[in-house]
Amino acid sequence: MFKKIIAKSMAKSPWIYHINTGSCNGCDIELVAVLTPRYDAERFGFKLAGTPRHADIVVVSGPITSQSKERLIRTLEQVPEPKCVVSIGSCPRSCNVFKGSYSVEGPLENYTHVDVSIAGCTPKPEAIIEGLAKAAEILQEKREAMGK
Amino acid sequence: METITTILTNAFHVLVFPGLLFAAVVGLLLAGLDRKLLARMQRRIGPPLLQPFYDFFKLMGKETIIPHEANRKAFLIAPVLGFVSLIVMMLFIPIFGYSPFSTNADLIVILYLLTIPAVALIVGGSASGSPYAGIGISREMVTMMAYELPLVIVLLTVAKKVGGDELVFSMQKIGDWQAMNGLLISHWSLIPAAIAFLLVIPAEVGTQPFDVAEAETEICEGPLVEYSGAPLAMFKLNTAIKMFVMTALFTFLFLGGIDTGIIALNALIFVAICAVVTVLCMTLIHAITARLKIEHLFKFYWTFVSALAAISLILVWLGL
Repeated sequence: MFKKIIAKSMAKSPWIYHINTGSCNGCDIELVAVLTPRYDAERFGFKLAGTPRHADIVVVSGPITSQSKERLIRTLEQVPEPKCVVSIGSCPRSCNVFKGSYSVEGPLENYTHVDVSIAGCTPKPEAIIEGLAKAAEILQEKREAMGK
Repeated sequence: METITTILTNAFHVLVFPGLLFAAVVGLLLAGLDRKLLARMQRRIGPPLLQPFYDFFKLMGKETIIPHEANRKAFLIAPVLGFVSLIVMMLFIPIFGYSPFSTNADLIVILYLLTIPAVALIVGGSASGSPYAGIGISREMVTMMAYELPLVIVLLTVAKKVGGDELVFSMQKIGDWQAMNGLLISHWSLIPAAIAFLLVIPAEVGTQPFDVAEAETEICEGPLVEYSGAPLAMFKLNTAIKMFVMTALFTFLFLGGIDTGIIALNALIFVAICAVVTVLCMTLIHAITARLKIEHLFKFYWTFVSALAAISLILVWLGL
């Protein structure tokens, strides 16, 4: 019974940790907009966590630069299982306009498994909420798979 | 046969009412109410009332990571220590006349037990070996010193008012006195003390303007920075129960004389008053203020709040 409750709660209280790996700040502002009274993601239980140890969903914005690569990998390792990685915007998908720059290493999927990828430059807050909700469902599935 | 029944009733008191289960459920409900009403005050829809329950069970299902630099034993024992002391405290606070463990000086026991959850946070934080936790525990210690002074003065005031010539630290007697002479809050000389106690509650629980120790935007939740999974769930539960324990203490000390004769109805009224106190002194202040700096917090408690408490103490000592 407890396993069922835990798996269900997984989808209802996803805490977000946000990493900016060299984004132009556009996606970060849109993510903050999701948490403000207008869109209020807290009604689904989303909360911005202060540290990766508390996080369930890691939100990555921006292309992976050579400075942020190592930090990104280290931060992802600190997140307890089950976890989800969500990328926001075009940059983590394809490096966008920064492609070819001497300091850009490549898209996010080269370094970790990406569960949900939200496209757009920048994606609308509605799209971000939908992506995060999908990530929350994936969290529940991952937890159920862990229990077996 | 008799020993078995006493053991069973004591187990019931500790595990169900007014101990573990009751305190945890009501505490988490109060935390949910706090979050929901805060959201409504900010014109948001807000999380469902049961959100803290979801948070708790979710954290229970997460992986527990113990950092390499951490002291394993202290790191894991700290949340349990805080939890146990809170449950014990709950047993000593009578729910309108219903108190399973009544002694002569339970107010002093409560005063000592109140510091243990904060100490548990300090122990856990320092065991985790993170520099963020280091800053957090130093702030937690200062916060503790800040609110402890007015709290002690308020409790002294109550003890003096009830005792008359001598100090009375028995919760039972405080309840009886209020049933006979009217609620303590209806005596005008105790109103400053009541306000001081209401201002101590948010610092003790650690909500918005006074959450300098756990400031998640500047020092990543301070002492909790390295916690994950079940121990973190325990700490979150501790905060929720602390909310209930502190409001329950206020309810009993200042509004303790109410007695309808039915335990269930008494408990219901008790919880309702606790909810009102929670909204009044935590949600409302949270919604209208921003986080203080640690030195401002210290100054606020040692001047304004202590002065309020001291005024009451002097008035009571003069026999008013």
